Amino acid sequence: MMTDKEWTPKIVAFCCNWCSYGGADTAGMGRFQQPASTRVIRVMCSGRIDPLHVFNAFLEGADAVLVTGCHIGDCHYVNGNEKTEVRYQFLEEMLQQLGLEPDRLHLNWISASEGERFANFIKDVTAKVKELGPSPLKPAGVK
Amino acid sequence: MKEMIYQTVCPGCNIGCGLYIRENEEGALTVDFMKSSSANLGKLCRFGMKLPHHYSKATSMVDGKEADIDAAVKAASDKLKGTRNVTMLAVGATTNEEHLGFTKIADALGTVVNTGIGAYEEIPSECHPSISQGIPLDDIENAGRIALFIDPYVQYPLLVRRLLAAKKNGATIVSLTCCDLNLADENVSINPADYKTELGLDSNSIIITDVNPHSDAEQVKNLLNLALVTGSKIMFMKPFVNSTGVHLLGKSAGQIGLHDIMDGINDGSIKTLVTLNSDLLELMPNTADAAETLEKLDDLVVITSIDGPVNEMATIVIATEPLYAKAGSFMNVEGQVLNNSGESTVGIDAMSTLSQNLGGEAFDFQAMHSKMMESVVRKFTAPKYSELECKVMETAAPAENSGNLISVYNPFMWCNQTDDNDFVIVNMNMVDKLGLQKGGMISLTSDAGSVNMRYTVRDIPDGLILTMKKLPVVTGNTTEVKAEAV
Amino acid sequence: MANVGDMVVGYATDENVRSRGASGGLVTAVLAAALEKGLVENVVVMKHINEFEAVPIITDNVEEVLASTGSLHSVPVNLAKYAVGRKVAMPAKPCDVQAVIEQGKREMIDLDNTYIVGLNCGGSMHPITTKKMLVEMYDIDPEDVIGEEIEKGKLIFKTKNGEEKAIAIDELEEAGFGRRESCRFCTLKIPVNADLACGNWGVIGDMAGNATFCQVMNEKGAKLLENAIEAGRIEVQPASDKAIAIRDKVNSVMEDLGSYLEKEIFPEIPDEERMQYYMDQMENCIDCGACKEVCPVCACGEDSKCTMFHSLVDNYKMSMYHLVRFMHLSDSCIACGQCSDVCPSDIPITLLQSRFSIPSQRRRNYQPGMNLDTPPFFEVMLK
Repeated sequence: MMTDKEWTPKIVAFCCNWCSYGGADTAGMGRFQQPASTRVIRVMCSGRIDPLHVFNAFLEGADAVLVTGCHIGDCHYVNGNEKTEVRYQFLEEMLQQLGLEPDRLHLNWISASEGERFANFIKDVTAKVKELGPSPLKPAGVK
Repeated sequence: MKEMIYQTVCPGCNIGCGLYIRENEEGALTVDFMKSSSANLGKLCRFGMKLPHHYSKATSMVDGKEADIDAAVKAASDKLKGTRNVTMLAVGATTNEEHLGFTKIADALGTVVNTGIGAYEEIPSECHPSISQGIPLDDIENAGRIALFIDPYVQYPLLVRRLLAAKKNGATIVSLTCCDLNLADENVSINPADYKTELGLDSNSIIITDVNPHSDAEQVKNLLNLALVTGSKIMFMKPFVNSTGVHLLGKSAGQIGLHDIMDGINDGSIKTLVTLNSDLLELMPNTADAAETLEKLDDLVVITSIDGPVNEMATIVIATEPLYAKAGSFMNVEGQVLNNSGESTVGIDAMSTLSQNLGGEAFDFQAMHSKMMESVVRKFTAPKYSELECKVMETAAPAENSGNLISVYNPFMWCNQTDDNDFVIVNMNMVDKLGLQKGGMISLTSDAGSVNMRYTVRDIPDGLILTMKKLPVVTGNTTEVKAEAV
Repeated sequence: MANVGDMVVGYATDENVRSRGASGGLVTAVLAAALEKGLVENVVVMKHINEFEAVPIITDNVEEVLASTGSLHSVPVNLAKYAVGRKVAMPAKPCDVQAVIEQGKREMIDLDNTYIVGLNCGGSMHPITTKKMLVEMYDIDPEDVIGEEIEKGKLIFKTKNGEEKAIAIDELEEAGFGRRESCRFCTLKIPVNADLACGNWGVIGDMAGNATFCQVMNEKGAKLLENAIEAGRIEVQPASDKAIAIRDKVNSVMEDLGSYLEKEIFPEIPDEERMQYYMDQMENCIDCGACKEVCPVCACGEDSKCTMFHSLVDNYKMSMYHLVRFMHLSDSCIACGQCSDVCPSDIPITLLQSRFSIPSQRRRNYQPGMNLDTPPFFEVMLK
């Protein structure tokens, strides 16, 4: 058994190919310190992220899910991130009503050059989720 | 053609759920809810919702070639005329009236109709009424304590709401099934000999169990004794819509069960088999074995409304109209007579012709219906019986690296119908022991062969593997299998 | 000449239809006329099986339409799905109308060719609950019932031997009977979203019980009404100011009751307890899929997100199917209660869904199924 001190949350980060995925890369190259809690899933646009993917991440055992994409106005596909925003509002309201702690779901716009911003974002979320403990949706047997 | 709407009953089990089948202009079927149906309030389970897939229309065949129904009846008459030792099987998957018609044919052939539940024959006849007819479903909701020997979620889902209502009314539920049940207050594993003392049942209790063609008579006897000694009520659920009806209509003397029929075919004492809506390939635990056995028959005459796998093997198929379109009635587990709104009598008429050609009586729907009403509708009185001698064998624990594969019989399994059930259930200990990977497969090997399956994890006793699907490695209710990670 | 906004009181000219109909048979006559004069090819009506059972049929036979008269509070079916893909005229409770419009938004129903005769609705009841209620509260054998009515907050049953018995709905609901749960917190009582809004509220004086109040809501409604007058099937006269005031009064009383009951039916659940609450409520789900099948606003078809990404092999703490549905319906659920009705495990699925959809819709000042001005919220924003 792991003790609470050892526990690191599992965080699923959906990253847009054209921005935040690059941001994650930049964070690494710039040697910005960040916890090893994140599993990055690359998508071609944050608009591709269906609420279903977020549910799936939680049901499979993610302790937090991050939806990231390009700054509004910078979408590689004109307005994909605006669609993300609309969906995200519904998703956020829904998961909050469901009783999931708000700190387990985040939306953030991060460009490819914002490595430090990405690293800090991960650091912040990890710290918050560590305080919350494992997600109530984590299935039995998943650590 | 105009849209047709039929009021009918779900053939998935003998709860007798009322529903509508809508047949549109193109013949496509949809299910609609009949909210005033007292058995189910219009609610349906997974199987009920998928009924349109179940009603695949049969085609009449003679010697492997398509034929019209008259030709098939004629061919069957020629085949059966003068044949001795015809065995007949009707498990209760069609109307009372058709079943009666089928018994007329049996009369003409000098034989009886077997309903396939072998346990009946090993149990004194004074106990039969307790097995064939249950209690009103509403009574479940007012019980004080309920002992469950079936998994209601999977096997008889429309019992779930009754049990939940009972709990709301203050009942406690004790489950003796192999899977921990959500709705049970206690999930226990008790030696069958200790049920009487350990379960805390009394006259305000209900025992819910089931009996089917593969049931062990000793277990049935044990539960009958339990009911007798504790004074609690007992309810035997059954897998066929008209199981209760066919029992009340049939002659109980001289019947044999499914397994005896298969044994008879294997040892050559049964050469001719006539079935009514009873597909042995679907009913027997192992399809390949059953097919091998049926190959040995000289003649297999199939009367059915469904395009089942056995039709391909039959010498003659007499295809009747779909179940929902038939004129006729069913009797559910409560003993309620439930009527179809359909008016078609193709099946009855074909059986009448067959009976007549064999030198028996001619009959029509009305005659069969009146006869049914006379024999089926009678006041149910609690039968009297004395304690039965019985010996329940506990299933031996499986050997190291093996598991007991248990079939959790459910409507999809009885009808061999596809469902989202292509996996087995194991517990966490087995996952750890075998080193199963998430998203991986488990390999199961028995004398009958080997199969790789997906798996899911639930809280079940060590050494058990549950399946809701008919698997080719299965040889009986419990099959010892060697389990490995793939 | 009928105009949008007209309010009239009318009845069927056919004596037989008038006397058998709930309130002068106006609705039946309007539907029959629409069929007769070729306004539509078919009419959706409830075919009467008994006092507690009726089944929606699609008919092109005027006689069948005329035979369908009579109100059935204890046959809670939503009619929208029966209108899909057809040119029909149909009677509709407010929630039927909402569902028809939602289907229209999703291009499943051609609203230009669908004529909706709305019926005031104070709520409907479950047939089996009603039967039990008759025995326990009314001391009436359900077999003896020949008619029912809701008047002044009372539910009245008429029996074969000409007797009437009325009990206050409040009293019935306190005893666990009465209207379906979704009807109790409903606040759409007059179908202002239909083409015609009909009902017996505001029918006063010697017309009481013998005529229908009818408001023309749009051009299609005007066409329907005119068509029936021209066909000689109905007679109408303008509604008096007093009648209109009474109708408004009844409506606002019903609306207020709905709002009041909403607070009672949806008590606040603290943040930290909600997850467990939803898990407990859904733990007995048997995955039959009936709640989706019956949902009158769902237009996804058989293979949809909620079903295709859900498998029984998954060992999730919550059902993917339900999560997707809670989310997907949050902008379009009309809380008609069909899903709760058909749930084999008696999960109050409408109540659970409403906890998501009511706040979501209110926040956006949006009510689904009212008009075509606002397409499904998700979609308009995603273009």
